[in-house]
Amino acid sequence: MSFQNLFIPHQRNKEERQWLDEEIAEQQLRYQAIVKAMEELAPTRERWYAEFLDRIQTRGFNVDGDMRVKIQHEDIPLRPDRPHKVVY
Amino acid sequence: MARPHIEPFCDRDVPFKPMKLKGFGGGMHYKMLSLDTDTGACTMTVKLDGGYAQKPGFSWSELELLVIEGELQVGDKTVGKGHYFFVPAGHAMPAWRSAQGCLLLMMYNTGEPSLVESDTHHPDARTDRYHETDSYNDIPWALGNVTKPNVASGCLIKLLNFNDRSHALTFLYCMTPHFWQDNISYHDCAEESYHLWGDSWMMQFGTVPTGGYFWRPAYINHGAFASELGCIALGRTDSKLFNHFHYNPWSTVEENQARAAARTAERDPLLYRWIVQHGHNHPHGPEDFEDTMQRIGGSRKYRSVQPDKNKPFAHSHGQHGQHHHGDDKAHDHDH
Ligand SMILES: [Fe+2]
Repeated sequence: MSFQNLFIPHQRNKEERQWLDEEIAEQQLRYQAIVKAMEELAPTRERWYAEFLDRIQTRGFNVDGDMRVKIQHEDIPLRPDRPHKVVY
Repeated sequence: MARPHIEPFCDRDVPFKPMKLKGFGGGMHYKMLSLDTDTGACTMTVKLDGGYAQKPGFSWSELELLVIEGELQVGDKTVGKGHYFFVPAGHAMPAWRSAQGCLLLMMYNTGEPSLVESDTHHPDARTDRYHETDSYNDIPWALGNVTKPNVASGCLIKLLNFNDRSHALTFLYCMTPHFWQDNISYHDCAEESYHLWGDSWMMQFGTVPTGGYFWRPAYINHGAFASELGCIALGRTDSKLFNHFHYNPWSTVEENQARAAARTAERDPLLYRWIVQHGHNHPHGPEDFEDTMQRIGGSRKYRSVQPDKNKPFAHSHGQHGQHHHGDDKAHDHDH
C-alpha cells in the first residue's frame, strides 16, 4: 500500500489494537473463502481460457484500445505442467 | 504484509457491523472490504442510520469518501449520491448529519479509521490537498485512455484524484452494456474497485455484481473482460497505472514481474541501466515470458537465435538459451 500521502503518526490505543486484530482475523477467513471459491471455479475457468484463446485467433486480441490482431495458431500458449492459481 | 488479494468479494454477502471505534457517532455500521494488516488502512462500505450525527474532527489517516446512496450533511452543505471528498490526514471536517441515513464508501489510505474531535486542522495537515466534487453532475465521462496501451472503447472514466508523487489514481469508471476486451492485463500497482451498480466479468474470477469488490496487488493477471448489463464503479490504483497486456492465462506473478522489468529495459534503457541496475552495465534484461513460454509452435526464443544488434541490452546465448547468474545476481560480465 503506497498512496504516499501524509500520515500523521499517533499512538494506537488498546481498543484500536483490538479492533485491528479482530478485523485481521475476519479478513483471513474471507480470504480463505475466496481461495476455496476460486478453486471450485477452476473447471469453468478452463473453459473460459479455451474460449479466449479461440477468440484471439478469430476475432482478435486487443493490443491497444480497439486495435486488435489475430494471434497465429502456433503462437497460442500451452498450459504449463504446474499448479495454476488466480488468487495470490 | 499489506492488503491481501481480496477478489472477488461482494458486500451484499455479509451483514453490517456496528462501528465501535471511538469518535464516530452511534448509528454507524460498516462492512470491511479490505484491510492493510500493518497500517490498518482499509476500504469499507458504511451505512449511517437516519438521525446520525458526528462531531467535527480529523483523522490521522488520509480519507477518501464517496456517497453511494442518500444524503449527507457536512457542516451547512448537503451532498448526495456521487459526491466525492478527498480529505488529507489531519484535515478537520465539519460536523456530519444524515436525516434519512445514507450509504458511503470510505477509504482510509494510511491508517485505521479514526476521528479526533476538533474544529481546527492538525498543524501537519496538508490542507492544500483537500478537494471535493459532485462527480455524477460536475464531471463528464471521458475516454478511458489515461495510459497507453489503453482499454477498449466503452470503458469510460471520470478522474477524481491524482497523486502527483505516486501517480495513484482515484476514478469512477463505467462499462457500456455488452462491453468486451479480449486481453489479459496486469499492472505495476495495486488496483481496487467497488461496483456501485451493474455487473462485470473477468475470466479468472467470474462475474461481479452490484456491491462487488476487489483489492488486487500488483502483477496479478486479470481479464479478458466483459460486461453484460454495463456497470459503474469506483476504481483506484496505489501508484502509476500501466497496462501490461498479454494472452498467456497461466503466467505467474513472478513471470509478470520479470516481464515488466524486461519491458522497462526495452522502453527506458537508460532508466533501467542507471536506476534498476544501479549503474551496473548488464547486457541481459530479465526474462520476458513472451519470448520463452511454450507455445503450440514452440517457444519464440528458439525459433530465432540471431542477436538483434539494435537492442542495447539483448544478446543471444545461442541454442542453449540459459546460463546461471548465481543467486545474488551481482557479478562481472564481460560479453
Ligand atoms: Fe486492471
